[in-house]
Amino acid sequence: MTAPADQAKAKGAPPLEDLMQRAQAGDAGAYHRLLSEVAARMRRLVQRRAPWLKPEDVEDIVQDILLSLHQARSTWDPARPFLPWIVAIARARLADNARRYMRRMRIDLAAAELAETFCDIPTNSQAETVVNLMSVRKAMHGLTPAEKQAVELLRLREMTLAEAAEASGSTVAALKVAIHRAMLRMKGTLWKD
Amino acid sequence: MAKGTDTEGDTAALIARLARDAAPVRAMAHPLRRAMTWAVIALAFGAAMVWAIGPRPDLAERVSDARFLLEQGAALATGVAAAIAALALTIPGAPMLLRLLPVIPAAVWVGTLSLGCLRDWAQMGAAGVRITPDPACFVYIALIGSLPALVLLMMLRRGVPLAPRWTTLLAGLAAAGIGNFALRFFHTQDAALMVLVWQVGSVAVLALLAGLAGRILLPWRARPV
Repeated sequence: MTAPADQAKAKGAPPLEDLMQRAQAGDAGAYHRLLSEVAARMRRLVQRRAPWLKPEDVEDIVQDILLSLHQARSTWDPARPFLPWIVAIARARLADNARRYMRRMRIDLAAAELAETFCDIPTNSQAETVVNLMSVRKAMHGLTPAEKQAVELLRLREMTLAEAAEASGSTVAALKVAIHRAMLRMKGTLWKD
Repeated sequence: MAKGTDTEGDTAALIARLARDAAPVRAMAHPLRRAMTWAVIALAFGAAMVWAIGPRPDLAERVSDARFLLEQGAALATGVAAAIAALALTIPGAPMLLRLLPVIPAAVWVGTLSLGCLRDWAQMGAAGVRITPDPACFVYIALIGSLPALVLLMMLRRGVPLAPRWTTLLAGLAAAGIGNFALRFFHTQDAALMVLVWQVGSVAVLALLAGLAGRILLPWRARPV
C-alpha cells in the first residue's frame, strides 16, 4: 500500500486508491465518494492556482476535471498512487482553460473592433487584421444569406459598397442595411461565445 | 468548502450522474504492451503493401547488406519508440521526458544516412550526392502509414490529451517511420542523400503535419448536455 493511502487510513477515510480501484470495478458508491472527494480537492487547487476566477468558472473547471477523470478512468494503474494521476489531468485542464480564456479575450477584442467597423463604412484594414477569421466564420452562421454576403464582400474581401453592390446585384442602400444588421448580430454572437 | 451555490449543486448533480453511469472498466495495458500490439498491426499492413506492390528485385542482396540493415533497424526503432512515447503521453502522470524517447534511434537513423552521404561522395563524387525528384516516396510513406496512423489515433483517443500536439507528432513519426521502413523493401532507392531528403524528409513533414493537427485530432471530449 502507498504512503498517501496510509495517511488517509490513519484519518479513518478509505484511501483514494482504494475508492478508485472499487470504482474501476463498477462500485457506484465508492465512485460517488471518490468524485465528491476529488471535487473538493480540485476546487481548492483551482482556487489556489487561479484566484481571479469567478466561482462559476472554478466550478466549470472542476466539472471538466471530473468528466476527464470519468472518461480516462481506465488509464489509472492500480499499482500507482492516485493523486499524481488526477493532478496531471487537472493541470492539463487548467492549461486548456487558460488557452480558451485567452481565445475568448481575443474574440472580445475582435468583437469590439467589429462594432467600431460598421460605423466606418468603406473598409477598416486594421479591424480586418485583428478579427480572427475563424471566429468571424463561426459568428457568420447565424446570419441571413443577404447579411452573410454583405460581410463576405465588404469585410472579408474588402470591397467598397459600390463594388459589392455590383458583384451581388444588390443596391448600396440594401448593402448598408445588411452590413449594419450583420455587424450587430455578429457582435452579439461573439460576445456570447 | 463553500456550500450552497448553484454551481456546486450542478457539480453534485454531475457526480451523481457519473456515479450512476459508472460501468466497470479494465485498467489499460502498459504503453509498451499497447505499442507492441500496434507495431504488429502496422508491420502486418506494411508487409501486405510490400506484397501488393511487389518487393524490389534485389531484396535478397539488400537484406544481407549491413548498412541497409542498420538504416532499416534505426527506422523501425524510431517508429516503435515514437509509438511508445505517444501512447505514454496520454497516461496522466507519465513523465513528459518520454517524448524524447525516439531521439536516440532517430539520431542513429539520420547519422547512418549522413555517413552514407559522405561515403557515396567519396566513392562516386558529385554523382553520388545528386538530388533528383522522387515525390513518390512521400505518397508511398503516407499511404503505408495511413492505416497504422488511424489505429494509433484510435488507441490514443482512449487516453487523455495531456499534450495533444506532441502526442500526434510522435504518432505521425511512428506511422511514417513504419511507412518508410516498408517502402525500402520495394522502392529501389538507396543513395543516402536521396533517402535522407525524400524519405526521412517525408517522415519529418508528415510528423510535423500530424503535430500541427494535434488539438483537432485529440480534443478533450465535450461535456454532455
